[in-house]
Amino acid sequence: MADRRRINGPVGTTVAPIFEDDVAQESKEAPKSTRSRAPNAIRKMYLKTGVTPSASGSAYLEIETSAKGPVSGLKLTCTVHGPRSLPKSTPFSPHMILSAHVKYAPFATQQRRGYIRDQTERDLGTQLETALRGAIIADRWPKSGVDIIISIIEGDQDRATSKSQGDETWDMMNALSGCVTVASAALADAGIDCVDTVAAGVAALVQDGSADSSPTIVVDPIPSEHEKVLGACCIAYLPTRDEITNLWFKGNLPASEMDLYNQLVDRGIEASRSANQVLVECLGETIGGAASGQVS
Amino acid sequence: MATSSSPSIAIPGQLLGPASKYQPGPGTHIHESNLYSSLLGVVHINQPAKAPGPAKRLNKILPVVPTELPTITVSRSGVSEKREALPEVGNTVLCRVIRITPRQAVVAILVCGDTVLEAEWQGLIRSQDVRATEKDKVKVYESFRPGDIVRAEVISLGDQANYYLSTARNELGVIMATSEAGNTMYPVSWKEYKDPETGFSEPRKVAKPN
Repeated sequence: MADRRRINGPVGTTVAPIFEDDVAQESKEAPKSTRSRAPNAIRKMYLKTGVTPSASGSAYLEIETSAKGPVSGLKLTCTVHGPRSLPKSTPFSPHMILSAHVKYAPFATQQRRGYIRDQTERDLGTQLETALRGAIIADRWPKSGVDIIISIIEGDQDRATSKSQGDETWDMMNALSGCVTVASAALADAGIDCVDTVAAGVAALVQDGSADSSPTIVVDPIPSEHEKVLGACCIAYLPTRDEITNLWFKGNLPASEMDLYNQLVDRGIEASRSANQVLVECLGETIGGAASGQVS
Repeated sequence: MATSSSPSIAIPGQLLGPASKYQPGPGTHIHESNLYSSLLGVVHINQPAKAPGPAKRLNKILPVVPTELPTITVSRSGVSEKREALPEVGNTVLCRVIRITPRQAVVAILVCGDTVLEAEWQGLIRSQDVRATEKDKVKVYESFRPGDIVRAEVISLGDQANYYLSTARNELGVIMATSEAGNTMYPVSWKEYKDPETGFSEPRKVAKPN
C-alpha cells in the first residue's frame, strides 16, 4: 500500500524535459544572424514613464531584437522610491543617499538566475549608481534616501552564444546601458533634481569573417551577430553638459593604439546620444500628455 | 504675479536662459552663468511684483538696489502632485506628538507648508524651544501630550534622525488636543485647553488662533 502521508513521486519513469531550443542548438551551425543595421545605428527602443503607480517614479524600457533564433531583446522596468527619511542607524548626511539595485528576474535569461543578487548584478548596481550620481543634484535633498530598483524582465541576447564565446560581459554592457537610460527616465518622473538626462550607449570593436580581416567599430553590438568581440565600452553621458559620468571599458586591445580607444569612446558617446533622443522624446510625452490631460 | 501666457515644458538639463536675465527659482540650477532646468515640468516665468503705491521719495543715500529680475521656475504642479517636499529651515510644519520626555517632545512631521508629506519625518521640540520666555521653567508635559497636533517652525535640519522644531512664537503651539477622557478640547488661554464635557482644563502651549 502506498504511503498516503507523503507526496509520492510519479509511478512511471520520467524523462528530463527537452526544450526545442536545446535541440536547435545541438543541430546548430544554423545560419548565423548578421547585423543588418548600419554600424552607427542603435536598435529601436520603447520607453515609457509612470508604469508603476505606487512608486514615486517609474519607467519601462524595451529594446527590439534584430537577431533571429533563440534570442530576445531587453525588457526592463525601473522604480524609484523616495526621497524618504533614512533609517535611524545612518549617520547625518547633508545630501541625498542613492542606492541602486539591479536584479535579473529568474526567468530573464536562458540560464536560470537565482533569487539573490549575484556578483554581476551587484556590479551592475554599483556602476548604475556611479552613472546616476553624476547627474543628480544630491544636496537639494538633505537627510533623505532614494532607492532605484531595476528588474530585468527579459535579458538581452542569446545566452548560449555569449557563453560559447566565454564571456557574458558584452551582454552586461548592453544591460547596463539600458539600466542607465531607464533609471534616468524614472528619476525625472519622480521629480528628483538632475543636472541633465543621462543616457548610456555601447560601442564595440568587432571582427567579422576570418581572423585576419580588419576589425570595425559598431554601436549597440549584439555578440551573436559577430564572429568575435575584441573590446567594448559602455558610456553614460550627459549630452548638454558634455560630460561622461561612467565609463566601462573591457577587451583586449593593443596598448599602442590610443586612437582606437578614443574612437571607441567617441562611438560610445554617439550611441548614448541616440539613446538620449528617445529619452527626451519620452519625457516630453510624459509631461505633454499629462498637461493636456489636465486641461481637458 | 503675472505668469507668462505660454508656459512651455522643460526636461532636466534644458537651457532656460541666461542668469543675467532671470532669477533661479525652484526646479532650476545655474551652470556656467546659464539657467538650466533640473526637473521635468512646466516652465513658469513670474514677473517681479511691482512695489505698491507711489515710489518713495529718496531722502537718504541708499545702495543701488539690483533691479528685480523675473523668476523662472520649473514645477510639476497641476501636472502631477507626486513630487515630495522636504522640510526646510524656516518652514512652518504641522506635526503630531509621538512621545514626550522631560527634556523634549518627539513629533512626526505630517504637513510641510501646504503640502502633505508622503514619507514620515521625525522632529524634535526641545524644552528650551517650546516658548520664548521663561525657558527654564518650561515643563514638556505641561506643554504637549502624545496625540496633540502642533504647529511648529523648523529651526534646524538637526541630527541624523530628527529635524529640530520650535514653538517659540505666539501663533505656534498646540492646535488640536484631546483630553485624558478622550474628548476634543478647545483652547481657553495661551496655556490652557478645556474639555467641554468634563469641564477639566489641561495645560498646553496653545497656538494663537489666526
